[in-house]
Amino acid sequence: MSNEAVLHAPAEAGLHLDAHGDDHHEHHHHETFISKYVFSQDHKMIAKQFLITGMVWAVLGGLMSVLFRLQLGYPDSTFPFLQDLLGKWAEGGKITPEAYYALVTTHGTVLVFFVLTAGLSGTFANFLIPLQIGARDMASPFMNMLSYWFFFAASIVMLSSLFVETGPFSGGWTAYPPLSALGDASPGSKTGMDLWLISMALFVVSSLLGGLNYIATVLNMRTKGMSMTRLPLTIWALFFTAVLGVLSFPVLFSGFILLIFDRNFGTSFYLSDIFINGVGALPNEGGSAILYQHLFWFLGHPEVYIILLPAMGMVSEILSVNSRKPIFGYMAMIGSLFAIAILAFLVWAHHMFVTGLNPFLGSVFVLLTLLIAVPSAIKVFNWLTTLWRGNIRFTPGMMFSIGFVSLFISGGLTGIWLGNSALDIHLHDTYFVIAHFHIVMGVASMFGMFAGIYHWFPKMYGRFLNNTMGYIHFWVTLAGAYLIFWPMHYQGLAGMPRRYYDYSAWESFKQFTELNRFISTVAMIVFAVQLLFLFNFFYSIFKGRKVTTTNPWGANTLEWTTPINPGHGNWVGEIPEVHRWAYDYGKDGKEFIVQTKAVGADESHH
Amino acid sequence: MSNSTAHEEHAGGGSKEIIKVTVILTVLTIVELILGFWMIDIPLSSTGVRMAIKGTIVILMMAKAFYIVAYFMHLKHEIKNLIMTICVPLALFVWFIAAFLYDGNSFRNLRNTYDPHYKEQSTIKVEKKEHGKDEKHGEQHQDSHKEKKAAE
Amino acid sequence: MATTATAPITKSWSGGKSPFNVEYGKLMMWYFLMSDAFTFGAFLISYGTIRFSTNGWPDPNAVFKSFPFAPEGANAPLVFVSVMTFILIISSVTMVLAVQAGHNMDKKKVTTNLIWTIIGGIAFLSCQAWEWNHLHHEGAWWGSNPFLNADGTASSTNFTNYFFTITGFHGFHVFSGVIINIIMLIMTLTDQFEKRGHYLMIEKAGLYWHFVDLVWVFVFTCFYLI
Repeated sequence: MSNEAVLHAPAEAGLHLDAHGDDHHEHHHHETFISKYVFSQDHKMIAKQFLITGMVWAVLGGLMSVLFRLQLGYPDSTFPFLQDLLGKWAEGGKITPEAYYALVTTHGTVLVFFVLTAGLSGTFANFLIPLQIGARDMASPFMNMLSYWFFFAASIVMLSSLFVETGPFSGGWTAYPPLSALGDASPGSKTGMDLWLISMALFVVSSLLGGLNYIATVLNMRTKGMSMTRLPLTIWALFFTAVLGVLSFPVLFSGFILLIFDRNFGTSFYLSDIFINGVGALPNEGGSAILYQHLFWFLGHPEVYIILLPAMGMVSEILSVNSRKPIFGYMAMIGSLFAIAILAFLVWAHHMFVTGLNPFLGSVFVLLTLLIAVPSAIKVFNWLTTLWRGNIRFTPGMMFSIGFVSLFISGGLTGIWLGNSALDIHLHDTYFVIAHFHIVMGVASMFGMFAGIYHWFPKMYGRFLNNTMGYIHFWVTLAGAYLIFWPMHYQGLAGMPRRYYDYSAWESFKQFTELNRFISTVAMIVFAVQLLFLFNFFYSIFKGRKVTTTNPWGANTLEWTTPINPGHGNWVGEIPEVHRWAYDYGKDGKEFIVQTKAVGADESHH
Repeated sequence: MSNSTAHEEHAGGGSKEIIKVTVILTVLTIVELILGFWMIDIPLSSTGVRMAIKGTIVILMMAKAFYIVAYFMHLKHEIKNLIMTICVPLALFVWFIAAFLYDGNSFRNLRNTYDPHYKEQSTIKVEKKEHGKDEKHGEQHQDSHKEKKAAE
Repeated sequence: MATTATAPITKSWSGGKSPFNVEYGKLMMWYFLMSDAFTFGAFLISYGTIRFSTNGWPDPNAVFKSFPFAPEGANAPLVFVSVMTFILIISSVTMVLAVQAGHNMDKKKVTTNLIWTIIGGIAFLSCQAWEWNHLHHEGAWWGSNPFLNADGTASSTNFTNYFFTITGFHGFHVFSGVIINIIMLIMTLTDQFEKRGHYLMIEKAGLYWHFVDLVWVFVFTCFYLI
């Protein structure tokens, strides 16, 4: 059928397929260093580019948190090395308030968007989607490459904003106007904010290019027999992540365009009744700052699920593989992912209960918000029942997956507190919120990412990560995460507000001096352990234990049917056909049955 | 790709349909314009009638959108699954619009209740003079208002 | 769970082909347009929100009441904008005809219809340029609004702010649509599609063009009618 030819043209034609020859696919088409490592169109290389760029940002963002924790833990001390590092931003070895706010803001922006969006779903959507659905590459490898390079450009612009004279943006990662709209409001709201907006606009383009590609690939490019209900849960999660991004990032984009006009062209979309000390009343009238918050959180809330869903998907897969049991409630897992994806769009204003949002509208948002507990609980119970009586192999990837479940429960439960508009009057903008979202979204997703890296590293580089370092990494990070963020709940309940520079000036918060110091100390230790992980990562790329079999974990999914170091095009010869779902573990006395194995005549149904 | 399969694939198109849809779109637009002209003569005070006309225009707008998407963009002749994957996400607009507009309206009520100056300001009629004059006038008022606020 | 079902693979969702029977490019174009619909949706909804949170709003009929070569002080509301609307609808029709001709591999008809579409797009952009210029001469721009509210009270600048931002963003889309259509025309004339054996690219360009028309339906209603 001629139509078929057209439909499959992109997969076949774009790749100069090397359908023959057992080894050395590289020899078939000439690859230069540039086309293989820099402007590569191979989804696996693009995934690695996303991963390593994300790691660079994770180090920078993590370092920033260490620096501002230094200020919070030791508000009265000076550290001369800080002046060497930050120059005028740490005059006399003490971080200035402006620098403190810039660090907090950049830490948030970088971790949320660059590490946990691009670094997480950019890496694993690129890496896993074609491999697990049985495709040679993404639907459009070229757009995929563009997606990375737009992210790279966004990174460069954001990085350059750190070096402008007035400093990077310092009004919080949410960039609420009027602080973000008026250059006169603070030093960081001048050039730093313009660069921040440019960087974010580039980032939106990158995530749209990526997201459209992921959706089209998952829908159109599945191999023969790979029906939607045979997909591994990773793919479902990454698919919903892409849908969330495609539908919510444009709204942020619009919000940013209006903000750019407010900053530069004298409009007042978000501005009204502004009086600036030394400048006087501004002519900007008639706007509404709440409007920006609505637009921002229309993305902002789906964004936390953009961060969380890929981790959920990978954890589901890793838990099942390493428990040697089918995932419990496969359809319920898909259904709850779907429910979360829908609800993600309906609950944004729960970030705005105390902004002057209409209280009745707020109550509707409370209801919708608390509904998220249902699919979340389904997922948690399904993970636990997958583990239940499993033949568990405690690989580092598995440890991080179990850690993810633990953190998701701990952080998710406080979400039920914060979802209540009445409680939120007391808790909003306190350390309780910091603790909540760092555990449930920040650390949990980092754990999902680590789990993914440990689990799929053999597929990425043909070598294993070092297990001993992996276990040290896991235990210190898990203990550290709880030691850092658990106490913050108490601080928050006691009313300690977030984003303050120095709490020692308040009588009521003096009691937390020791606790703050403790948190800061743990934060530094945890940061140091991440450096150990980085060492492990780069050391193992070159010196790690070699993978000797194609399927080291005994997993069912398609990526383990490729050669140990797959070339561009993934499979040598035909793309395998799929005959069963991805979770036939421990079936009929067999430890695992790969998806490509035909269903036997005497096989039991489940 | 041969012509015959191309035809089969896109069954339901055809020039007749294009002409029909063009006529429908034209008629809908003309009806919208008639309503628009009618509304010019209706005084501001009769809010009900104006709202009813605006509502009708919005419905006509949706009808136009339907014809463009269904026939010009050919969605009606695609597979049902594709139609669903495109139409279902658009349902998000319902809550998107409802929540935003509701809160916008609430913001106005709050301001009118707790900011008497703002309310008073919006009842003062500006005499129709040359362009730009009225702006200045408003600004002076706002200035004094802001100073008062800042002093509080 | 029927995941290990042994039934023969016949259903459209079971892999090996597109479940929608469309190539990936068209699918991506559709989803791109959906995300773009959210961009425009966000703009128009913000406009609505601000309008709902403001006491009073200018009467569009008192603002958009002139047309090119009109006598000084002409009072002809809705006339010029209806011309613009029809230009865009007609250009959409010619685009449909171009897509249809593409399915029939009729290069000549594709070319003529594309040319008409491009002319329509340029005509629309010219109209918009004239209107912007005219309003600018009246003192309207981002951050300055010479018009009064319908009830005679002072109006906030957000009327003009939104007008210029949203029609500008739409105009930008029309502009890129014209560029895309010109590229399509060049590719048609250089026989690129003949060599490929199909005109599917034109179909995607057509989707984009119709979307631009679709957005105008909403912009036209929100700014000129209600």
